[in-house]
Amino acid sequence: MSVAALTRKILHAALFYEIVDAMKVTFRHMFHQPITFQYPREERAIPHAHRGALGLLRYDDGRERCVGCDLCEVACPSHCIKVISAEDTARPLQRYASEFYIDVTKCVFCGYCVEACPVNALAMTKMYEYSTHDKRTLLFDKKRLYDIGERHLDDAKQYLYAHNQEKNVEESREYRYYFPQSVLKSTQSPPKHLS
Amino acid sequence: MAFEDQRTTVYKVNPEHPESETLPTLRTEELLLNLGPQHPSTHGVLKVILELEGERLVKSTPVLGFLHRGVEKLAEDGTYHQFIPHTDRLDYVCAMYNNFAYCRAVEKLLDLKVPDRAEYLRTIVAEVQRIIGHQFWLGAQALDIGAMTVFFYCFRDREILLDWFDELCGARLTTSWYRIGGVERDLTPGLIDKLKQFLDYFPPKITEYQVFLEKNRIWLGRTKGVAVISAEDAVSFGLSGPTLRGSGVDYDLRKYEPYSAYPKCEFSVPVGKNGDTYDRYWIRVMELYESVKIIRQCLEQMQDGPVMADVPSVTLPPKSRVFTNLESMIQQFKLFSQGFQAPPGEIYCGTEAHKGELGFYIVSTGGGKPYRLKIRAPSFIHMGAFDHMSRGYMISDACTIFGSYDVVMGECDR
Amino acid sequence: MGLKPATNPDVEAATIQLTIDGKTVTAKDGVSLYDVISMTGKIIPAMCYHYTFDPFGSCGMCLVMQEGKKAPVRSCTAKAAAGMVVRTEGEDLFLARKKAVEKHLSVHPLDCPVCDADGHCELQDMAFEHGVTNLANAKQKFIPEDTRSPVLDFNMNRCIACAECINVCKDVLMIDALQFMKKGGFNQVVPKGDVALSCEFCGDCLAVCPVGAITNKFSKYLYKPWQMKKTTTTCNYCGDGCQMYLETKDEEVVRVTSPLSWKNKWGDRSETAKGHGGICVRGRFGFEYLDGKTRLRQPLVRESNQLVEKPWLEAMHLVVDRFTDIKDKYGADAIAGLITARCTNEELYLFQKLMRIGFGSNHLDSSARYGHLNFVHASKHALGLGRTPNDWEDLTKATAILLIGSNITETNPLTAVRIKEAIRVYRAQVVTLDSAVTNMAKLASHPFVIKAGTEGLVIRGLVKAAIEQGLVDDEATKKHPQAFEALKAALAGLSLDEIASQTGLTTEALRDIAAIVAEAPRSIIMCAEGIVRRPNGYDNVLKLIDLAWITGKLGRPGCGVNTVTEEPNEQGAVDMGAAPEFLPGQARFDDAALRDRFAKAWDASLPAVGTGSHLVDILNGCKNGRIKALYVLGENPLATLPASMEVRAALERLELLVVQDPFLTETGRQAHVVLPACTYAEKDGTFTNFEGRVLRVRQAMDPIGESLPDWHIMTSMANAMGCQWEYQSVNDIQTEIMKVLPGYYNLGQPRKVVPAPDRYLGNGYAAEVTARYRTMPDSSDRARPFSLQMGQVLMHSGKMSTEAPGLIMIAPSTGKLRMNLHDMEQLGLQDGTRVRLTSDLGSLQLGVQPDQSVAPGTCFFPEHFNEPPVKDLMTVSVDAMTGVPSFKQTWVSIERA
Repeated sequence: MSVAALTRKILHAALFYEIVDAMKVTFRHMFHQPITFQYPREERAIPHAHRGALGLLRYDDGRERCVGCDLCEVACPSHCIKVISAEDTARPLQRYASEFYIDVTKCVFCGYCVEACPVNALAMTKMYEYSTHDKRTLLFDKKRLYDIGERHLDDAKQYLYAHNQEKNVEESREYRYYFPQSVLKSTQSPPKHLS
Repeated sequence: MAFEDQRTTVYKVNPEHPESETLPTLRTEELLLNLGPQHPSTHGVLKVILELEGERLVKSTPVLGFLHRGVEKLAEDGTYHQFIPHTDRLDYVCAMYNNFAYCRAVEKLLDLKVPDRAEYLRTIVAEVQRIIGHQFWLGAQALDIGAMTVFFYCFRDREILLDWFDELCGARLTTSWYRIGGVERDLTPGLIDKLKQFLDYFPPKITEYQVFLEKNRIWLGRTKGVAVISAEDAVSFGLSGPTLRGSGVDYDLRKYEPYSAYPKCEFSVPVGKNGDTYDRYWIRVMELYESVKIIRQCLEQMQDGPVMADVPSVTLPPKSRVFTNLESMIQQFKLFSQGFQAPPGEIYCGTEAHKGELGFYIVSTGGGKPYRLKIRAPSFIHMGAFDHMSRGYMISDACTIFGSYDVVMGECDR
Repeated sequence: MGLKPATNPDVEAATIQLTIDGKTVTAKDGVSLYDVISMTGKIIPAMCYHYTFDPFGSCGMCLVMQEGKKAPVRSCTAKAAAGMVVRTEGEDLFLARKKAVEKHLSVHPLDCPVCDADGHCELQDMAFEHGVTNLANAKQKFIPEDTRSPVLDFNMNRCIACAECINVCKDVLMIDALQFMKKGGFNQVVPKGDVALSCEFCGDCLAVCPVGAITNKFSKYLYKPWQMKKTTTTCNYCGDGCQMYLETKDEEVVRVTSPLSWKNKWGDRSETAKGHGGICVRGRFGFEYLDGKTRLRQPLVRESNQLVEKPWLEAMHLVVDRFTDIKDKYGADAIAGLITARCTNEELYLFQKLMRIGFGSNHLDSSARYGHLNFVHASKHALGLGRTPNDWEDLTKATAILLIGSNITETNPLTAVRIKEAIRVYRAQVVTLDSAVTNMAKLASHPFVIKAGTEGLVIRGLVKAAIEQGLVDDEATKKHPQAFEALKAALAGLSLDEIASQTGLTTEALRDIAAIVAEAPRSIIMCAEGIVRRPNGYDNVLKLIDLAWITGKLGRPGCGVNTVTEEPNEQGAVDMGAAPEFLPGQARFDDAALRDRFAKAWDASLPAVGTGSHLVDILNGCKNGRIKALYVLGENPLATLPASMEVRAALERLELLVVQDPFLTETGRQAHVVLPACTYAEKDGTFTNFEGRVLRVRQAMDPIGESLPDWHIMTSMANAMGCQWEYQSVNDIQTEIMKVLPGYYNLGQPRKVVPAPDRYLGNGYAAEVTARYRTMPDSSDRARPFSLQMGQVLMHSGKMSTEAPGLIMIAPSTGKLRMNLHDMEQLGLQDGTRVRLTSDLGSLQLGVQPDQSVAPGTCFFPEHFNEPPVKDLMTVSVDAMTGVPSFKQTWVSIERA
């Protein structure tokens, strides 16, 4: 080590030069915009792909999309979904979920149920503020899930587009599920895209 | 700003600490001290029983299992696909890399080829995750020693990447983005732009971190020559990743068992000399630069193409086909309700996560579920060397020491 | 039929050799090539194949390459021939099979999300296995779903025309209720004649349907296979003891499935002799009572003439205090108990132990008293054997079956399927002798309708005819010449012609029947409710044993006199000693050595020899005040026995009536305390079926409400009465039974038993045989021309099935008397006309309905329903030897009301 280098080193040590170096960085940051924001007052921008609370969707004419196939239940890695399916008493041979529960305390928000759903009845929304004092209210039932779906319909659709679950095209929006017909009483006309 | 290579200077502490023998003949006894499990610097819920002689560590015994959730057993309960979200929760700081390691293991079991673009995407995201991991380590390690500023600066930049993850896959930490046979969704042009911006923004920030630490003589004093482990010991303890390379062993799975798009990228593997905390730090900082390099190369080389393998017996059909085609509907139902049928056999597949070698060992007896799944978690293996590394050091070094090999208890306890 | 495997023990097919995938395989000539391949362990996909019936060859999946042929051949319809060289694997075959799947898929609807078969669907499996991803020309059928039947829905969009349903119905069950019909341009499966399905509703078509074309209305849309827990258990309805799977979803029984299913379609045809794995309508559709609304959920205690819900502790305290009081006040003999044979062996064992040790009384009986004990006593007396000597396999492989007094299709449907297989596969000659035109009579080679109540006479005629024609087996009779002489002497006064005219048969017929029974190498005599539940049941069984003896059928393999039981565990009730005359293991209660053994094993003293009364005596005891407390476990004597037994009066005199039942029965309404018990789905244990096979019952769900398993209640009661019973589970009871009855748990195969008639024939036979064949006055009453019979119908079993809404929907209580159409025409009656039915004991008014299975001169009313109370018209006669009350037949007059 040369004498000059040694001198510099001693000088730096004596003058606590590293503090000068660090302070330079610190002072430079005094002229930056703060990167923090005031959360409840300022909204975070949530991306479309965000996996928030789950909601159930309806077709545009108001019919429930869910046919109660229970595939979300089996796809769920944390077994937090419970579907009770039944035959719709008003419409013979049409299957629907008479009860639908998601235990949000167990949900891991992986989105597998949405991926599994063969009719895109489930979608995730940008809703994330539902903390509560009562844990029991975190068992979302069918009504609450449809409410979420209705209130966050746009988010839900954006989610489906973002995750390639549904295409943002006319044809895809017209799609709906057709049930078997009964010989006794017909409740729907044959589907357009299949006839 | 240029930095000296300071690795030659080693502050040696005599592990035999003779000063304790010069004490007058007072009655002495070893003090047992419980460190953790509820302690801010224990990286989760680690408990260590320290045997102290004065302020020196005579023996330290990590007590594990406070975060045990039976993840390996959970794997036997669900399909291969269903285990991916569980891997998020191993090393919850770096979910992507766990996903990656697991998917690679299953793909090896299935002998599945992943499309080129997916390989590049996987590499890019894995390296982004490595950056996040190292940033997190750096911040936490500095904080353990008392340097708070670095923590904030690291987390500031980490936020950018976490938001990027959110946009990519919908979650910041529990990503579940990798899929067996590819990835869940492609990068959008917007995401690529954001990543490119970050790559330009980030290298100067690394220098900022270095300013705060490498010139700080207190920090240097507490890292150099602390927790030294020799190359032989490191190898025999089964250490891996920066902890192993810090001792001068040039071993990196990305180079020695190249996978994904790594063989197509040029990058170097930094190697330490002394095996002390400082060297391990230095390697991680150098790896930040290397990661940036790898991501840049991948973004340049990446061609358009599918991001998911097209193997009907394993991978899901596109959703739009499920609505209208019976064969895709059947595929969807079979894959979700029963899972794909893996061949009988057993495989081990190690992946170089930022902590070290993250390995999955899968025993399959055929069928849709693994018969047994074992996770070789680097945190757990490194914890084994803790006693060896900490003997003779001061009690105040304990946190530095287990911080130095990057512990996340989620992975350690599983 | 040519492809049937050569399983007939009488005909050995030639053995041939052929090469499959380079390996030389031996097989029987004429067998389907598919069978030969599957025997080697190689499974080729096939959707229309099932080993229980002949290959049909419609799915086109079972393709193999045969050397010398250019195109792949369907292995199921190809016959194995000597020297064949066959290849079963290869890319070309895979592609050909894939094409076949694609053909089926291309017209299949997109129904997976709503289809009940999803996840349990062969078409799904095949499509997935063969990697079908791109279908060309997919089109849909749009056939509306046939929902007319009360049980099954037919969705022909999903049908792949594999015909498994049609084949199983026609070939295995011989019901033939389904057919193909070209409709709307597609071949569809429709009920015969394209009307609403009306058949035995066994649901085997549902079980073998590999897709969701046939679905179960009771569980429609309620489940997906992955949600359900499957418990293998034994059916609780009849003595066949069929294995079945109870599939439950969160403490709710969703459906019942059978081992017969498209999923297990590979097997050895000869194995079906032990049962084809199917279940009947009761088992498959009568499960809803298990978690029904009518189940008792809380103990009930009578307070001011009303039953009010009480906590268990209070109810149990009350029961124990009252029992103790009565025991202290009147002695142990004032306590009696009745148990149903629907309880498990462990509970029956515990019941008799509770009665004998806990209460110290030998007044106990089970529902085996209603008939089965006639058979047990007769068989034990003659052969030293308290159960049937033959099993299902013997029955299937019999060459002649004499079915007397048994409507077996209705009472024991799966045993009936064995007889059907004997007819179909083994070409057995089946003789039916019954006063009704039973289902089996339609299939039998020698169906005979006899006059009501003449079963005993017919048997005499058969014995006489056998001796007259010299059909006697010398070896058997020469061993006991004295007995044979005594028999001949007893029969001397009988004339065949007279018997023929009295019974409505011809003399030739009697001779023919005797010849069929005597000449067949393996002949089985099967008697059931028409013998054992009628007067002289004990004697008539002994006469059948005589017939078997003189024709040399006793002890010969595959021959014997058998019966079937109505309740699942009647045999178990006898074996476990739930009868005053028996200790466990059918040990005689008065046998000093055995008494000692049990007293030692139980570490207590048994009630004295000579005490103990059976069902009728117990009820009489209640009536005359000798018995003060009655413990009724699942039994319902009030609804079962006719009014002339004065059961109600008897129960009203009791100081304490405790009823333990899953439902609030008629008897329960009279009770002071009603304890809620579990059904078989909520407990572990075993049943002993009529073959003597011990079968496991497994817990499928948690007890409903606060109900408890019977053994649990009895254990606590015994401990409160001062016993020291330490049963923590059914296992502990089983361990004890294993100790006192070594070798009883013969899970799986029934123990082979050898009849030992020598002692009986050697001593005292001559003395009793004369009385047995003494001529009886003609019992028919000219003033009352019609024979009213009460019996079981296919959809019901006892009173329990009436709690199952599904079965009630299929076969509701019509409240109508079933009559022969001819008789109705003669009396000028239409369907629904109200008539006055008069017997010696009273009369009532009810509607009539025509029923083809009712013979002229008889009328029928199902015993399951008491609306109107037809049972009260019945006279009761009690068998002097066995104490069996018979009350299923009487003479009535019918006139327009």
